[in-house]
Amino acid sequence: MKSRKALLFWCSLLGLIVFLTVFSNMLAPFSPNEMNMDDVYSAPSSDHWLGTDHLGRDVLSRLLEGGKVTLAVASGSVILSLIIGIVYGGISGYFGGLTDTVMMRLLEALITIPALIIILSFQAIIQGGMWGMTLLIGLTGWLVTARIVRSEFIRLKEEEFVKMANMFGTPVWKILWGHLLQNSIPAIFVVTLFNFAGAIFMEVSLSFLGIGIPPAIPSWGNMLYYAQNDILIGAWWIALFPGIMIFLTILSINFIGEAWKNPKRRRVND
Amino acid sequence: MISKWVGKRMVMGIVVLFIVSFLSFFIMQAAPGDPAAAFYGGNAQTLTAAEKERITRAYALDRPVAQQYIAWLGETVKGNLGTSSKEGRPVSEIIMERLPNTLLLFSVTMFFIIIGSIWLGTVAGMREGSIWDKGLSTFSIATSSIPAFWLGILFIYFFAVSLGILPSSGSGDVEGNGGVIDKISHLIMPASVLIVTHVGIYARFLQESIKIENSQYYVKVARANGVTESSIRKGVVRNASIPYLNYIAMTIPSFFGGSIIVESLFAWSGIGQLTVKAVTTKDFPLLMGSIMVTGILVVITLFIVDLIMYAMDPKMRKGGAR
Amino acid sequence: MIEVRDLTINIEGKHITQHVDFTIPRGRITSLIGESGSGKSMTVSALLGMLPVDAKVSGYVMYEGRNVLDASDQEMESVRKQDVFTIFQDASNSFNPSVKMGRQLYAFSGERVGDTIDVFNEKMKLILDQLGLAWDVVEQYPFQLSGGMLQRCMIACAFYVEPALLIADEPTSALDMVLQKEFIQLLIRLNEERNTTILLITHDLDIVAEAAHEMAVMQQGTIVETGTVETVFSNPHHAYTKRLLESRF
Repeated sequence: MKSRKALLFWCSLLGLIVFLTVFSNMLAPFSPNEMNMDDVYSAPSSDHWLGTDHLGRDVLSRLLEGGKVTLAVASGSVILSLIIGIVYGGISGYFGGLTDTVMMRLLEALITIPALIIILSFQAIIQGGMWGMTLLIGLTGWLVTARIVRSEFIRLKEEEFVKMANMFGTPVWKILWGHLLQNSIPAIFVVTLFNFAGAIFMEVSLSFLGIGIPPAIPSWGNMLYYAQNDILIGAWWIALFPGIMIFLTILSINFIGEAWKNPKRRRVND
Repeated sequence: MISKWVGKRMVMGIVVLFIVSFLSFFIMQAAPGDPAAAFYGGNAQTLTAAEKERITRAYALDRPVAQQYIAWLGETVKGNLGTSSKEGRPVSEIIMERLPNTLLLFSVTMFFIIIGSIWLGTVAGMREGSIWDKGLSTFSIATSSIPAFWLGILFIYFFAVSLGILPSSGSGDVEGNGGVIDKISHLIMPASVLIVTHVGIYARFLQESIKIENSQYYVKVARANGVTESSIRKGVVRNASIPYLNYIAMTIPSFFGGSIIVESLFAWSGIGQLTVKAVTTKDFPLLMGSIMVTGILVVITLFIVDLIMYAMDPKMRKGGAR
Repeated sequence: MIEVRDLTINIEGKHITQHVDFTIPRGRITSLIGESGSGKSMTVSALLGMLPVDAKVSGYVMYEGRNVLDASDQEMESVRKQDVFTIFQDASNSFNPSVKMGRQLYAFSGERVGDTIDVFNEKMKLILDQLGLAWDVVEQYPFQLSGGMLQRCMIACAFYVEPALLIADEPTSALDMVLQKEFIQLLIRLNEERNTTILLITHDLDIVAEAAHEMAVMQQGTIVETGTVETVFSNPHHAYTKRLLESRF
């Protein structure tokens, strides 16, 4: 009962954040890129609820607009890695044998290389914009999904109903889609949620390093990139609010994911 | 048994390094401009024709890509990582200057994370249903949701800007005026940021695996037969630490990723900051070198963790069932 | 020696046992028989003071003049340490998989009674020898031994500590026929040689017939019949007991 309430709370918080960012155009009090050189580094006030930055831009408006960018990049990349993960893990798990061994060895090797390193090196060459980033995060984020899909497929393949379907000559695609994939959805959902949190982390990290989203587009990570200098002159509000938004978003995703994980298996006494 | 096992792990490590080397080599090939320029460095104009000729031959630059790769790999294995195009110095020299700082930061943070998480995880896992047990889950989810670099910015604001007790950036110098104290004062913030954002999840993992272990049949049998609580506890923690070590191994790569960002934020002059610098200044030879070194660091760390796991798990050693 | 009176265990509103009454006389082998799910194992847990936290329990388990159910955790711990030895069903999971057998056998026997390692080594060597186990087992890990060997290691510890009461909870159900016979013989030997009181939990009437002196029949959380093995076998009263006996032949 209590955990149900908690789940509802975190879902609504996440929903609120998504709502605020999606409708940032209407909700933002200023245009996110509107500069005002007479009003730089002003602390939070009734005019600018969350203050202004080094170019006199309204932090609240940039926060909402930036959230849209961050969440869009994260969503896009998660969808991409979901597709790759399902295909890779599905092939590996369904065919098994040598295919599986080779594919899993490769996956184990890939998982050892920090994703950030891979993305950094590609960013150095292609200098991608927003969609380039989405692509890169998506292309490096599918490994865990693939692993989960594979183990789910292997588990389900041994289930009675799948064996029966095989015996009755159900077409392969129907088994893959109808039986294996649909029954893996709960597990895939949980890993995708955590992946989503990971993708947000990745976007903000890269933008924070100044090699992610181009500086012209506001994103939570970008805002923090400028904030590292602003903080030195005491403008704390530029750093505080984007961080809180990132924190709350990831926190609610993590709590939702936790609640969705299977309730602990309880030992049955005889 | 051990030699076979070590061999298997070695092969795995080598495969990883090969993939990393492909990545590195690909960067060089894909980098804008003449790939050869990468090896001449920024001062290509000052090289004599004979020197250029020598470099071209060493890297097989006039041959097909596959041969170039082999030649490049041969040079890399020999420790020749090329010349930085911005600094004009050998990449290996720059990296060797940076390596101690990265190793220092890594070992200090890992040390405290492991000590802290074992302590928290054991206390929480052993007292099921206690405030520790419930509190740790929430604590770990909360702390792991904090972006480390953001926490770092807040730390800088509090400890460097407001209070002025810690330096906001740099990595200090043992030989300088401040000596070891200076080094430590520079280390405190980056290390504590990494520790605070990581100790919770590791502790939680240990807590969960202790709880699973505690519900094992043999624990019930031991408890029923009056085996002392301390020796039951010892057995449980030991068994639970095997999945815990495995978890550490699995998360080491992302931990390295996180420390890259923290190094950059605090201008801690390690490999991570160097990598970011190489990307922003488009210093491709330097980038390739730092990627290779990071890859080697990860592989070595994983190998050490694997060795510890191997030593702790008799089932692995004896090649037993399961 | 132990009297169980009106023992009722409730877990999350479900009755696990109801008004259970039976006695374990000193120096005898008493068998508690019933099918799985009849509440036998929970009864054992109650005797040992090891019920799950969410279990509600009422009644008496009288041991040496006091009610075990009221005893504190510390008291129960010392009872389990000094007076009772329990052998469980699943021998292959009864030992910590990553600790050598020698260390674990010591924890189960020598350490309990306060012997040093040297005393333990000497005494255990003799016992293992008698039970047909080589001393080498102490250098091995549990997963290197068979289920039968592990169960014999368990009973070796029982021989070592000579407990006032030995509880054997389905000790043979994971063993094959030949090993079952051997193990039952060991229990009988322990009872005859050292006069150990034994509570033998089983679902197998053959084992009861072979080993036990007294028996209590349990069905769906209640005791339906008690008495000496001879009287119950020759003159069963309850329908369930009759059915059990009929199905035996």
